[in-house]
Amino acid sequence: MDERGGPAGQPAPSPAAGTKDEDARFVPQMTAPANAAREDDLRFEAEALPYIDDVYRFALSLTRDAADADDVVQETFLRAYRSWHTFQPGSDARRWLFTITRNVFLRSRERERRHVDIEDGDLEALSSFAAATDQERDGSDRILSRIDLGPALQRALNELDEPFKSAVVLVDLEDQSYEAASEILGVPIGTVRSRLFRGRRILQEKLMTYARDAGFTTAQRGQRGSKDD
Amino acid sequence: MTECNRDIDCRSAVQKLWDYLDEELTPDRMDEVRRHLERCGDCLPHHEYGRVFLAALATARQTDARAPDALRRRVMDSLRAAGFNA
Repeated sequence: MDERGGPAGQPAPSPAAGTKDEDARFVPQMTAPANAAREDDLRFEAEALPYIDDVYRFALSLTRDAADADDVVQETFLRAYRSWHTFQPGSDARRWLFTITRNVFLRSRERERRHVDIEDGDLEALSSFAAATDQERDGSDRILSRIDLGPALQRALNELDEPFKSAVVLVDLEDQSYEAASEILGVPIGTVRSRLFRGRRILQEKLMTYARDAGFTTAQRGQRGSKDD
Repeated sequence: MTECNRDIDCRSAVQKLWDYLDEELTPDRMDEVRRHLERCGDCLPHHEYGRVFLAALATARQTDARAPDALRRRVMDSLRAAGFNA
């Protein structure tokens, strides 16, 4: 952070040079709890604050809005600071912060949350690729590989509901493993898999809707997608 | 789907495709699926479809996004207001 007062772990400079005994007379003595608090703050500065870019990027992927992401990041670090005593030293601070980020995001979207029943992960995996099979048959895979998916993907991700969005963002955008996503989301790996596959399937369907709306035909298998009009 | 008479069948390979693309299978399972895809013309397009889709999705990552300076100041201000003193 630019605002750091000095290297983490180093004591504050003494206002008076001299021997140790002389310092003791001039420097206000910190109580043991105050010392511990100061140590905690230094650890927070060294171990949590450096991940502000990662947290911002994750928040941006979830909110798809810069102003909303700013709010989520601020709240995330405030909550992280207040619960820093619960952080296990030596564990993955980035992962811990992502958990908080996701919870803050969910609370911010509480009113918009729509609960969707989750089905068995294996069934989802199969049905997801079953959808892909149908699309492949009519040449949709070729369209997906040719059109500019950027705007459509942004829109589709914006519209993707929780809990699928968090799973997709963590694994597909943040490149987290299923195990890491499981820890961040606080759910079993099978649930991560299920949410991920369902989320991907929804995105695929949205992309194909986009392709159709944009006038790309799927009728001519093996040929370049073309405008109908 | 065609039955391929491989180490694993098409149904099993298709069920494992997302995990395979995410490299979330054990090394043995990864090899099983890889061998199947090398030999099965029916399943390979499904793999290609998933690969293209995930590659497109990965481009949506905000790779260059850095927390703006104004946000960094805002975070620090809120932390200090909460008692942060480092």
